[in-house]
Amino acid sequence: MATTARGRPALPQGIGRVTPGWWAFFAATLIVLAFGIVAIIRELTAGMVATGMRDVGTAGGATWGLYISMVVYFIGVSFAGITVAALIRIFDIERLRPIARMAELLTIVSLILGAFAILVDLGQPLRGITNLFGFARPQSPFFGTFSLVIAGYLFASIVYLYLGGRRDAALMAKHPGRLQRFHRWWAAGYKDTEAERRRHYQTSFWLALGIIPLLIVAHSTLGFVFGLQVGRPGWYGTLQAPAFVALAGVSGVGHIIVLAAIIRRLLGAQRRITMEAFSWLGRFLMVLLAVYLYFMVVELLTLLYATPEVEKRLSDALLTGTYAPIYWGSVAALVLPMIALMWQALARRWNVGILVASGVLVNLAAIGKRYLVVVPSQTHGTLLPYEVGSYSPSWVEYGVVLGLFALGALLVGLFIKSFPVLPLEAEEEVSVDA
Amino acid sequence: MRRGVTATMVVAGILLMIIGYFGAAPWGADTVANSDPRITLAPTLFVLGVIVVFSAAIVYELLPDRERR
Repeated sequence: MATTARGRPALPQGIGRVTPGWWAFFAATLIVLAFGIVAIIRELTAGMVATGMRDVGTAGGATWGLYISMVVYFIGVSFAGITVAALIRIFDIERLRPIARMAELLTIVSLILGAFAILVDLGQPLRGITNLFGFARPQSPFFGTFSLVIAGYLFASIVYLYLGGRRDAALMAKHPGRLQRFHRWWAAGYKDTEAERRRHYQTSFWLALGIIPLLIVAHSTLGFVFGLQVGRPGWYGTLQAPAFVALAGVSGVGHIIVLAAIIRRLLGAQRRITMEAFSWLGRFLMVLLAVYLYFMVVELLTLLYATPEVEKRLSDALLTGTYAPIYWGSVAALVLPMIALMWQALARRWNVGILVASGVLVNLAAIGKRYLVVVPSQTHGTLLPYEVGSYSPSWVEYGVVLGLFALGALLVGLFIKSFPVLPLEAEEEVSVDA
Repeated sequence: MRRGVTATMVVAGILLMIIGYFGAAPWGADTVANSDPRITLAPTLFVLGVIVVFSAAIVYELLPDRERR
């Protein structure tokens, strides 16, 4: 049995042991995060003029830019994590059980990043928060996004992760060390009795059942933020909500594949996270991609068929104009993984490397598509006779977004080093019990 | 006891959400004055309702058994 420098049995999955590689990782994320904080301070002191955002029409810009694109992206990523975790619980999908906790973690981290991305988009975040609690309208899709996504969805995900982790926390709490107090707090008196197990089964089942409709509503609401705006060509449409849900699934499952592959490699968990789990995720990603590509083609045909003037200006900008590189780049980054996944499904041979590449590509495509939903309708979609506008993010915006990614990586890293990211299995339980 | 507390929390949470929803600014407000919430901090009540409903799950699992008390 592995032991620590003080002769105590080492905790499983490298918990509490920070190797030089991990120190380097934490240092790198902290440096990038510090850069992001400098960018935020610059924005708060200089005002929104430090960003590339300008008024729509009169100033020829876009008031929603990279930040809002990232809000939509991060909240989208959160979709698949809790969906996969809930599906595992409801349908008892045993082969996916090892990835359930990392999926829940991904949901929580991406929702936190989404919330921060909203805050940095507000010139005066504090004023925004106080007014939101006092004057927001629950009927509004904007507030719906906050109340359902942040308050409901994030809180429900935290509850789900917390309750699901109590058994492992109780086992870890038996081990003396720096993290014992944390594990004991998490376990909250859990004794692993038959009654506790039964109760947890009931709770997690009902929570899973409650979370799935909640997240569909939450993601549709985010789609409605755009889809209900009658005066904005490119946004107004019935497909926005379902397309948002579909692309959310695509980016989230892509992320889970990447995270699962990294953790599998880091912890040497090839036996725990099997190829069967990857093939399931690959098939799930393929189905979601097919649905999203269908929505994309339908949306494009509608935009091109008998197009009114403003819509034509918008479709020209997307297909052949300013935004064409991002548009076609995103299309390629969706179609290539689709071909790779179909080929693997037909050949019944799955390769982790190809799956990871697909996961990365669909996420780049998702960021591109979110940007294309948010920005072009403001610069090229004004109904009033303004000149065509433009928007390019400033270094402040790039710095903040990089800082958000670093924060996400830091939170995931800290979790991996303080709690079993893979549910403990029998032999690990024995080593902890010893 | 456990089921009672949990059910009460779920019902109370839903009630808070309903109060928050209908206590906020009315649909189709025709003046700025009418666009103020009808109940102070109505949106907070709505958010609180969502949180109370999901907190019921924690209470259901963590509440000690009667025989252990």
